[in-house]
Amino acid sequence: MSDDETEFPDSTDSSGSTDELIEKLEDELDDDGADNSSSDEEAQSQDSRIKRLKSDSTSVTEASTSEGTTEQKSDGCMHPGSFGGICIHCGQKVDAESGVSFGYIHKGLKLDDKEISRVRDIDVKNLLNRRKLCLVLDLDHTLLNTTFLYRLSSEEMHLKTHTDSLEDISKGSLFMLEHVQVMTKLRPFVRTFLKEASEMFEMYIYTMGDRRYSLEMAKLLDPQGLYFKDKVISREDGTQKNVKDLDLVLGTENSILILDDKEEVWPKYRDNLILMERYHFFNSSCQDFGLQCKSLAALNIDENETDGALAKILEVLRQINYKFFDELQGDLVDRDVRQVLSSFRGEVLRGCVIVFSLNFRGDLRILRRIAERLGATCLKKHDPTVTHVVATDFVTKESRWAVEEKKFLVNRRWLEAADFYFQKQPEENFLCQNALVSGS
Amino acid sequence: MFFHIVLERNMQLHPRYFGRNLRDNLVSKLMKDVEGTCSGRHGFVVAVTGIENIGKGIIRDGTGFVTFPVKYQCVVFRPFKGEILEAVVTMVNKMGFFAEAGPVQIFVSNHLIPDDMEFQTGDMPNYTTSDGSVKIQKDSEVRLKIIGTRVDATEIFCIGTIKDDFLGVINDPATV
Repeated sequence: MSDDETEFPDSTDSSGSTDELIEKLEDELDDDGADNSSSDEEAQSQDSRIKRLKSDSTSVTEASTSEGTTEQKSDGCMHPGSFGGICIHCGQKVDAESGVSFGYIHKGLKLDDKEISRVRDIDVKNLLNRRKLCLVLDLDHTLLNTTFLYRLSSEEMHLKTHTDSLEDISKGSLFMLEHVQVMTKLRPFVRTFLKEASEMFEMYIYTMGDRRYSLEMAKLLDPQGLYFKDKVISREDGTQKNVKDLDLVLGTENSILILDDKEEVWPKYRDNLILMERYHFFNSSCQDFGLQCKSLAALNIDENETDGALAKILEVLRQINYKFFDELQGDLVDRDVRQVLSSFRGEVLRGCVIVFSLNFRGDLRILRRIAERLGATCLKKHDPTVTHVVATDFVTKESRWAVEEKKFLVNRRWLEAADFYFQKQPEENFLCQNALVSGS
Repeated sequence: MFFHIVLERNMQLHPRYFGRNLRDNLVSKLMKDVEGTCSGRHGFVVAVTGIENIGKGIIRDGTGFVTFPVKYQCVVFRPFKGEILEAVVTMVNKMGFFAEAGPVQIFVSNHLIPDDMEFQTGDMPNYTTSDGSVKIQKDSEVRLKIIGTRVDATEIFCIGTIKDDFLGVINDPATV
């Protein structure tokens, strides 16, 4: 036996050394081969079995009692999962390709589909009985903003001296992590958000960052390990490239909500997604998204704590949780949070009748979808029932008509804000400028 | 199980280490290279306890490195299938719990935890019996039986069970 073998010979084998046992079995198998009118296939399978016996000695004792059956199911074990390549139920070596890797829980852990469903169902029942749903959170631009130190702009340099201490993380929000050369700013209200959301949801972090980064961020957000202990899913854990999926989350589709600033990464679960307004604290973040404005850091201001995105979404989550548990009928496991989410959305712009006046057809389709999802009625041509005209800053026939008829003439950001905040926004903040000035 | 055995290794030494401290350099390099590694045959090398013999060095052509065959005594740890071990619980979750016995990581899946123990989630997730008398949580000490082992480059993975008689919690950290 060479040093690279990965199996320990079974030393508790009382029938003498394993070499002797292998010889005994070989003899037995040879006899069988002579008696049967064995086809090539049978002889080959016996040969390969002998080869396997020599290199896979822990299964020797099992194989000798169950010749003819397949090696893996020799003791009836369904191999619900594996740890380090061995079955968690029977201890035998298992096929390295099978099962879904749950490395984010513990290195080396893999689970079979049936086992995943079993655990998922128990878990969901448990959660629902405690009036909790499941929430998957993105990190970057949703809960925090990170920048490499070398990308700090000149106006942001002063931040280096204003970072909070790493000794007492729970008191701070701006952190410099020298060992990975980044600076991170937590979004205002995030600590309250996490504390209150944790009472209504079991929370997971799912980020496209790598594991080292995501664990560092989890430490900043959750220094005591109360919320995200073994529920941080990073890029390496994902089963598909560039796309996020709920296969690693131990919850069922109808009880999971997702908070993310990007829609494209969740192609299969758009109905569970609540899109978050992006948090751009650092200049590098604005640059990455092609925004021309100055960053919050450069302007020395920050998002409003009690009135910002996280606070508003927390309220929405609270109401969805309430609706799910107190207003929906039927068995808890059959209720669907997506239904609650879409009916909630459908209330936001109920009663609004919208006509669009835009240059790009592509935009029209997107905005129309947003408006209809929020409960508004969208018309192709204006008529007396119209309440809002969504236009750009260019003067058009519709926008002039809107001003004449005293309808609300708003830009697309009015719709987008309503979508982010789940609330109809005051139209005065989103009026189209030029049309008003030159309209008549 | 721990063993105290003699192993041999060929150590390559760069000429810069030659001189008065050659032997010491060789020994410290050996310790650095070998302690903490593991192999399928011997298990995990915990510590080098002594040098039995250092053979004559052979100069390699072309590089100037010298190869010394070193025989050394060391303590190794190797788990065996069927062995009963005591381990400390490091993580408890709905799939089972992870425990550590020295350098070895052991996973006990909930299939191999007695049926009367249920998973309780919370700040300190744990497995508890229905009457609350026995609890397994982080830092508990448990006695378990190894039912399978596997070695990879630097780690040993084991699967354990506590479903048999006389296995389970030895020491409840709450009462300590």
